[in-house]
Amino acid sequence: MAQELTATEKPNENPILWVTRPMATAARQFAKSLFRPSTIVYPYERLEDPKFRGRLKVASGKPFGVGQVWDNYRGVHALNIATCISCNLCAFSCPDLCIDMVTVPGGDPKHPKKCPQIDYGKCSYCGFCSDACPEGCLTMTTRYELSTTKRSEMIYSPQKLLEVFQHKLPMNPIRLARPANEDAILLEPLLCIGCNACARDCPTQCITMLDIPKPEAKPGEKLPKRIWKEPVVNDSDCVRCGTCISVCPKECLFWGTRR
Amino acid sequence: MSGATLFSVSFDIGSAILRGIASVFPMPESGWITNPDVILGLSAVIFAAILLAASMLNTILLIWWERKLLGRIMDRRGAMHVGYAGLLQNFADGLKLFRKNTVQPREADSLGFYSGPVTYMVTSLIIFGILPISSGWNGGALPLTLLLALAIFSFAPLFIFVSAWSSNNKYSLMGGMRSAAQMIAYEVPILLAVVAVVIVSGSFDLTTIVYEQQNYWFWGPLFVALIVFVAGMLAEMERIPFDLPEAEAELVEGWNTEYGGMLFAFFMLADYLRALIGSILVVLLFLGGWTLPTWVPSGLTTFPLAGIFWFMVKTYAVFGLFVWIRASLPRVRTDQLLRVGWNRMIPLSLLAVFLAAVLVTVKCLPVFGCVPSAGGM
Amino acid sequence: MSEMWINMGPQHPMTHGLWNLRVKLDGEIVVDVDPEIGYLHRGIEKISEDRHYNEVITLMDRCCYVAGFSWEHLYILAAEEALHLAPPERAEYLRVLCDEFQRIGSHLMWYAAFVQDIGLMSPFLYGMRDRDLVLDLYQSYTGARMTYEYMRVGGVRNDLPPGFSAEARQVLDWLSRRFDEYDQLTLGSDIFRKRCDNLGILKANDCVAHGVTGPMLRSAGVKRDLRKDRPYSAYDRVEFDVAVADGADVTARYLVRLEEMRQAVRILRQVLDWLDKNPGPVMAEELPRWLGAPYAPIGREGYLLKRNFPKGVGFSAVEEPHGEAVAYVVNEGGEHPYRVKFRSPVFSNISAARKYLIGYHVADIPPIMGSVDICIGEVDR
Repeated sequence: MAQELTATEKPNENPILWVTRPMATAARQFAKSLFRPSTIVYPYERLEDPKFRGRLKVASGKPFGVGQVWDNYRGVHALNIATCISCNLCAFSCPDLCIDMVTVPGGDPKHPKKCPQIDYGKCSYCGFCSDACPEGCLTMTTRYELSTTKRSEMIYSPQKLLEVFQHKLPMNPIRLARPANEDAILLEPLLCIGCNACARDCPTQCITMLDIPKPEAKPGEKLPKRIWKEPVVNDSDCVRCGTCISVCPKECLFWGTRR
Repeated sequence: MSGATLFSVSFDIGSAILRGIASVFPMPESGWITNPDVILGLSAVIFAAILLAASMLNTILLIWWERKLLGRIMDRRGAMHVGYAGLLQNFADGLKLFRKNTVQPREADSLGFYSGPVTYMVTSLIIFGILPISSGWNGGALPLTLLLALAIFSFAPLFIFVSAWSSNNKYSLMGGMRSAAQMIAYEVPILLAVVAVVIVSGSFDLTTIVYEQQNYWFWGPLFVALIVFVAGMLAEMERIPFDLPEAEAELVEGWNTEYGGMLFAFFMLADYLRALIGSILVVLLFLGGWTLPTWVPSGLTTFPLAGIFWFMVKTYAVFGLFVWIRASLPRVRTDQLLRVGWNRMIPLSLLAVFLAAVLVTVKCLPVFGCVPSAGGM
Repeated sequence: MSEMWINMGPQHPMTHGLWNLRVKLDGEIVVDVDPEIGYLHRGIEKISEDRHYNEVITLMDRCCYVAGFSWEHLYILAAEEALHLAPPERAEYLRVLCDEFQRIGSHLMWYAAFVQDIGLMSPFLYGMRDRDLVLDLYQSYTGARMTYEYMRVGGVRNDLPPGFSAEARQVLDWLSRRFDEYDQLTLGSDIFRKRCDNLGILKANDCVAHGVTGPMLRSAGVKRDLRKDRPYSAYDRVEFDVAVADGADVTARYLVRLEEMRQAVRILRQVLDWLDKNPGPVMAEELPRWLGAPYAPIGREGYLLKRNFPKGVGFSAVEEPHGEAVAYVVNEGGEHPYRVKFRSPVFSNISAARKYLIGYHVADIPPIMGSVDICIGEVDR
């Protein structure tokens, strides 16, 4: 039970103290900050400078007015184009719709490789994209200086994001674990026509089309017009991007729990 | 610089310039160049130029000093990018303001809008012109310097009110009215506190007042007057805790809300010039001006321009006190300010006058020694 | 001078946000006030209906920009109830940790803005400086200083980094020393007392009539705190006192907020102790795939239609730094909430302005409105 706080009584009766107490506190602060104020001189000193690292740490004694940019700061993204599998998960998870998948050179001409291009004019640095990235190729770095005079320069192409990656800035070290009860891609076999679209577009190549025996047509029954193959998903390689579901012309793939 | 006064230096410079002109363009002995009126006039111009330069330089330095000191008290650094330790920052700010467009509100009264800042600035400059800074630096030995300084000092509410009224802005108007009420309320205690000083020193001449303090400074015996004077000066200078006319929390920027560009710079400079003058008056009246106590080793008082140096040190220290107060106290409210002014400050200042009269009558102080002259009584 | 209306806002140093206080003055006396809000309306409730459950969290941080964690917590509690999920215990303690650090951060921000309103210049920077330490702590485990996106439906995003506990304790020690310094600078000065005593009085029955909650209600002597009265997360497992004052004026609100910061330090020490001793998962085990960390693609037709998720309704009430915030989330079985509704405490606190502003000086408006602790982001949403 808290006792009621009352401010009805005067703090003290001596009128001199009314002025001197705050002035003494200010003077104490002045003496503290005379040699080293808590501010850092930003363009010349930077928080990511190693000399500020650990300023808040216990070993260094008193905490200081500045901290440090930690490794898991959510700044500009870094993209490793080499490991990107074009799964679109970053673009789908973006709440601001600031990620576009654009073609980068070096892919199969039939199925061009697409990598995220980020519009930092819209980005809210929520980090959902790097959380969603199954390969860890899109991460957030500690880089935070983005100011520019042109709006178009706020749009970072994959190549520009790759440059950020090549700077080897500290990356966000926290990788989220996958949930234990992950859903899997399930097939409704009766609808499938074996068109190979899912296997063709799967970014991880985890879908293989296996031959299935063509049933004997009973008299009077017309066999469905289809290729006698069925997709089989390798769950350990699948990143659950759902590309196969979206490209399936017959909507025969769906999320479900594999038993 | 014993012997040399500011005017004699100006005279020397003026005649040197004229001699230079005469040597380049030879003219007869009785030409206009040897006319004493020309020499005197040129000297007066140089004298005014030196005064103007000194006042502006000191004002800008004072802003720098406040910014740095306030920054350190607030656990930050203050201006530090332009020049060494930000010394040139205020020049840069001034240049920026100078380049900016001055916007006049649509229904503002042009005459008052433009003449307000100018007159405010000019009157503040006049006061600086008549204040003695050292034994040589006095703008002509007028007998009533103190009275003149305070009289011009109290013009300010008029100009502030004129510019606030002609801005045609409700915030400006309220700030202007607050400013006028506050300055008038605090003129009276200031004058009474000054009367205490005058009673003890026996003169209205600031130079004489300083010389009267050669044995002891007046801050000890006239402590009550000092408190009244400093509090009144805080109100006159419109600094926290008495900065109601420009209380930015409720009145955006008070009476200079509508001013921008160079006109705002005029107000800003004049404000700090008045702060400088206030600090100088405190030093002159209570802290012994350019004199130092006798126990100070003579090496500290005999180097060239020692008087001006020590005077400036004292002035900046007094201003530092104002900054310290600003950094640590909240702002009071209008009614509280006026109540303090009329109900507390005036009785206190009357008490100060009474104490001064007692001091002069008794002619002796138990702690501070005897009063050298009983004044002009 | 006759009576006149002046507009304090939308761009005015008093407003601390984007709103307009129309004031009718008779000389320097306030005779009428009319708060106008809505300049910062972003339609957060409507946008939420078109967002994945976890993506609404990004909006919650922007809902109140000084108390993002509290609003995340508020929404998450309602969403979890609507989705029939329960977070692990460690996540509950982590949320309390976030909430209480947020309370300190928000109150420090309030302190800085409030002392600036009455003309104190240095404590403004002291408050901001000490808040920076709290922001550094947020950044160490969420990766951001103001928009955290840390809590998730079913838990929190990640566990604390190693060494966090020791550093947090260090910061708490520093902060608890600073609170006394703040008192020296404000309560120790008679000018502050003269400015703030008997100012902006809002008695308990007026508070109840206008729905005023939070420190304003507690400063009127009503001992109501949702953390005690309707405990959520781990608040029933930590010890703390409810700060109550009886003045109902600006000074009382100041006292209540300072005491709340001290109590927050007390809670945080207990929470850190618990977190040190009890490692464990921070996300619920039984999480639907589409709420998991890497998302299922949203916006693809026919994804959820083929599954039957249980429908539900979630209600939560959280003691935010500004007052009692309430959220209502309706889950109609989709991947987006069907409807999200929030109750902002500051909205009610502002709407009682006529009660606590009329009759005071114009110079009293900044301290009174400062003591209300206004965050326009959550008022307009």
